[in-house]
Amino acid sequence: MTRRVGIIIAVSAVVFIVVFDWLLGTPPDPYRAPDPMAFGSTSGASGAICSFAPGAEE
Amino acid sequence: MVTRTSLVIILLLTLAVIAGVRFSLLLGLGITIGFVLERYGFGFTGPWRRFIRDRDAQGIIAQLIAIGLTALAIQPLIAYAPGTLIGAIAPVSLTMIIAAAVFGLSMQMILGCGSGTLVNAGSGNPLALAALPFFGLGSFLGSLLIPVAIQSTPHIPLSLTKLLGVERSVVITLAGLLIIGLVVRSFSQGPIWNKRFLTAAILLAALAILHVLIAGQPWGVVYGLGLWAAKAAQGIGWDPNTAQFWVHPINASALKGSILTDTTSLTNIGLVMGAALAAWIDSVNRPFKQPIAIWYYLIAALFGLLLGISSRLAFGCNVGGLFSGIASGSVHGWAWLVAGFIGSTAGVYLRDNLWLLASREAK
Repeated sequence: MTRRVGIIIAVSAVVFIVVFDWLLGTPPDPYRAPDPMAFGSTSGASGAICSFAPGAEE
Repeated sequence: MVTRTSLVIILLLTLAVIAGVRFSLLLGLGITIGFVLERYGFGFTGPWRRFIRDRDAQGIIAQLIAIGLTALAIQPLIAYAPGTLIGAIAPVSLTMIIAAAVFGLSMQMILGCGSGTLVNAGSGNPLALAALPFFGLGSFLGSLLIPVAIQSTPHIPLSLTKLLGVERSVVITLAGLLIIGLVVRSFSQGPIWNKRFLTAAILLAALAILHVLIAGQPWGVVYGLGLWAAKAAQGIGWDPNTAQFWVHPINASALKGSILTDTTSLTNIGLVMGAALAAWIDSVNRPFKQPIAIWYYLIAALFGLLLGISSRLAFGCNVGGLFSGIASGSVHGWAWLVAGFIGSTAGVYLRDNLWLLASREAK
């Protein structure tokens, strides 16, 4: 067995997560999409970021 | 290669249509980052390991250059567009420092950090595949512990750009990186420059800057993994209203929305896919099975779990906390660097001993 099996497992897992989320959650709505780039637009960062510390913000 | 490139283009165009151009660009960015990290053999855990074990500083020097180039661009950009662009600014605290040390130790145990575990999994590494689900689970558990940590110890967010102004913050950041570079060089045995790593570092910096311009926030990893686990937990009956972290409007919105519109989820998916693309051809010449006893996979799962918990309590892994933190001018990034390196030093020796034991048992 080669690493190709591992690659197939990893990519399949990612596809499964996306499909699972699509079926059970809210599908994306392209009509509510933000501007292509945050820089220079009015639709900025989502704020959903690893450093986000609710209750201890700046 | 043409077929794989065509598939990626079709995928990105499809995402642009069904979700939006920004999300397609972010997935493309993640794929490119994953491809670069895998193709150039560049990362965070390996260079630290080689420095600790062999006094080989080439990878760390390249990392410092990548962070410095990113800082030089994103600190002024974020200051220029406040509200639209945000930095990876997080509090410094005792629990944050301990967590960064635990992360440093854990990443050496599985030879994969935040980005590294995704890239390794994408390239078909079985240890990373064993660790990754637990990394996600740990990230979710860590998110539940964040409010407890914040209430139990003082958490002080310190932004150099807010405290000193952008110009001074950039100068201090670059000076700090230079000092670390000089210290690393003084311990180094052999050359400190490596053309392959430097190329990867420059590419990574360019991609990290693009990430800020497109997403409005710096590159991160662990938030997305925790979000996936939170969604899975919700699917089996967990109520997010019982968790202080997830009732915050930003997190509640991420939980309610599609992962195809979440920044870190998209770049995480891209990292796996980019690494898979880069490793695809050579993968048939590399064995899937590792020459170790089966129990080391349990070790990988355990330390995967610790990677997740610790990276949430440290407000980011080596990417969101260390790389993006320092580049944004957050003091927590510097604290992460010191604590993570101390943890890594212990992790290198612990890993070597356990790996030796697992290798002997496998023979």
